[in-house]
Amino acid sequence: MNLHSEKSERLVRWLVPLALILFAVVAIYISTTFKKMPPILKRGIQPSDFPRLICGLIIFLSLLMAWFDPVKIQERVSRQTFLTVALVGMFVLLVQVDLFIALGAFAAALSFAWGERRIMALGLVGLVMPVVIFFIFDLGFRVRFPRGLLTNMWYG
Amino acid sequence: MAPFWAGLMALGDPYLILLLICATLGGVVIGALPGLNATTGAALLLPFTLTMEPVAAISILTAIYCSATFAGAITAILINTPGTSASATTCLDGYPMAIRGEAGRALGLAVVSSTIGGVLSVFVLMLSAPLLARAAYSFAPPEYFALTVFGLSMLVSIGGGSPIRNLIAGAVGIFLATVGTDLLTSVKRYTFDVPHLYEGIGFVPVMIGVFGISELIAQATRIHDKRETITMNAIKLPSREDYRRVWKTILRSSGIGTFIGILPAEGATVASMIGYNEAKRWSKNPEEFGKGAPEGIAGSEAANNSATGGAMVPTLALGIPGSPTAAVILAGLLVHGLRPGPTMFTEQANFAFAIFWSMLFVNLLFLVIGLYGAKLFARVTLIPTQILWPSVFMFSVVGAYALDQSMFDVWVALIAGVFGYLMRLFGFSVVPLAIGLILGGMLEQRLGQSMVMLDEQWWLMVTRPICAVFFAATALALFGPLCVGYLKRNRPDSNEASS
Repeated sequence: MNLHSEKSERLVRWLVPLALILFAVVAIYISTTFKKMPPILKRGIQPSDFPRLICGLIIFLSLLMAWFDPVKIQERVSRQTFLTVALVGMFVLLVQVDLFIALGAFAAALSFAWGERRIMALGLVGLVMPVVIFFIFDLGFRVRFPRGLLTNMWYG
Repeated sequence: MAPFWAGLMALGDPYLILLLICATLGGVVIGALPGLNATTGAALLLPFTLTMEPVAAISILTAIYCSATFAGAITAILINTPGTSASATTCLDGYPMAIRGEAGRALGLAVVSSTIGGVLSVFVLMLSAPLLARAAYSFAPPEYFALTVFGLSMLVSIGGGSPIRNLIAGAVGIFLATVGTDLLTSVKRYTFDVPHLYEGIGFVPVMIGVFGISELIAQATRIHDKRETITMNAIKLPSREDYRRVWKTILRSSGIGTFIGILPAEGATVASMIGYNEAKRWSKNPEEFGKGAPEGIAGSEAANNSATGGAMVPTLALGIPGSPTAAVILAGLLVHGLRPGPTMFTEQANFAFAIFWSMLFVNLLFLVIGLYGAKLFARVTLIPTQILWPSVFMFSVVGAYALDQSMFDVWVALIAGVFGYLMRLFGFSVVPLAIGLILGGMLEQRLGQSMVMLDEQWWLMVTRPICAVFFAATALALFGPLCVGYLKRNRPDSNEASS
């Protein structure tokens, strides 16, 4: 779990610029598939010119960064951080059932994972808050939420 | 003068006044909560302003900006935790004053300095924005392109991060702005046949992700942080002696803050640091700084609040954000179909002046709130992290969805949130990414128009005087810090010292 070791520091120093360069190279490659406009329609620059210019800049700056400004991990990644990201993943899966079930479950689970043990507090974030938010936005802002197990009960 | 008064008349609308009071109270709560700041607050609120009239929507965002910037001082003084980074220097003298039982005096000084700084900067905004806009009226696409490049070059010093990494983040933001249908040629770029991407990546979900959700993930490592709350005596206004001691500092810092705010991309944090340092440099008792000097609070708070008005000058007059929060406000203007720039002061002058007056109103409003409600607002820091951040997540998701009522925007916000967290982890600031995304489209459009105008001879841009000035300023902004560092290292006395 500890990403702060010397080995990972060395890895990150090269991995981040490399990832950026790879991203820019792929983006330049994809830009070769863009339609080319005839001179009369191209309005100054071809559609692929500007993205390529920016990708070139990203590559140049990434090389500068690798040599002169090595990337370092700023803070220790805690167990809670991994847990939080995993809960975001769980939220994405639960959204397929219902957005508000997913929001309530995520909020209660996150609160629990971060150390909250009081039933009332968990109930507040897991039940009361999603219901309040739903009605504020549905009735107040006329937002129509995606249909799901719970929202179908309201929308009919 | 008609727009001047018409703008004031807009404040006669009770609905707008009510909204401004609610937004100011909300801004104070946001600013007082460590971890949340004006930029996050404005980004989270942006989708909900879309159903409102433009004046109400932008006034709310500016109210959040002004009041949250001030409110960072409440927690800086009472719990030694700046609510916003702009109040970091307020901790240095505010907390020592609170420890010796002068929390009320410290808060009083902070609120009065903030109000004076904020009000003065709004007056500067009222006078200078139309003048700057008039000067920019003669700008053609090449000048606008050079100006946008200059605005982006100021990203090097944003957030106190590394200049190279800030530029990379800005470039990635500009690249993301190229996704979608090219406005000049209607060619689809990086859309991978996903219809949601045809109109590009929306900057509102990205902002909600990089400012809101990434902060939530970052907070996971700070859930066990302990904060000490100072018991505060009743708020009392600073004495006449206090005013006599700090009035010069307040005026000086207000000037500094307004000027720093006007510079593209520089915001309240830089202003407060310079304001504090200058207050110390000009003080007769510099040894008191860091131990509870009233000038320290006044210098920092007047500067950070005056930067809010200053930051709105380039935002409204040129369409270049003066600070991270101004970038969110700029996004708000764009999603409401408003075009910041010189035409705003001719075609939408009433709107522009309504915004100025509402900012003035908000600055006066938080004087009252700060003096009589600071004790109450300090209590919001008692909201447990375990309840606050899950709620922020819910508002982030619903906010991202509400914009176009599309789950695709929710996925964009979540991806942007995780990406933003990784950026923070590796020492990149997320602010340049957001500014790059907003300005990227304009930059490309202006480059294309310039190329048409100059018959594809781009080097002719340098022969145009205004462009040349902006390009020179860009070079100075990019290479100036490097040159200064080099000169400092090679000064004869530093060589002797090192040997």
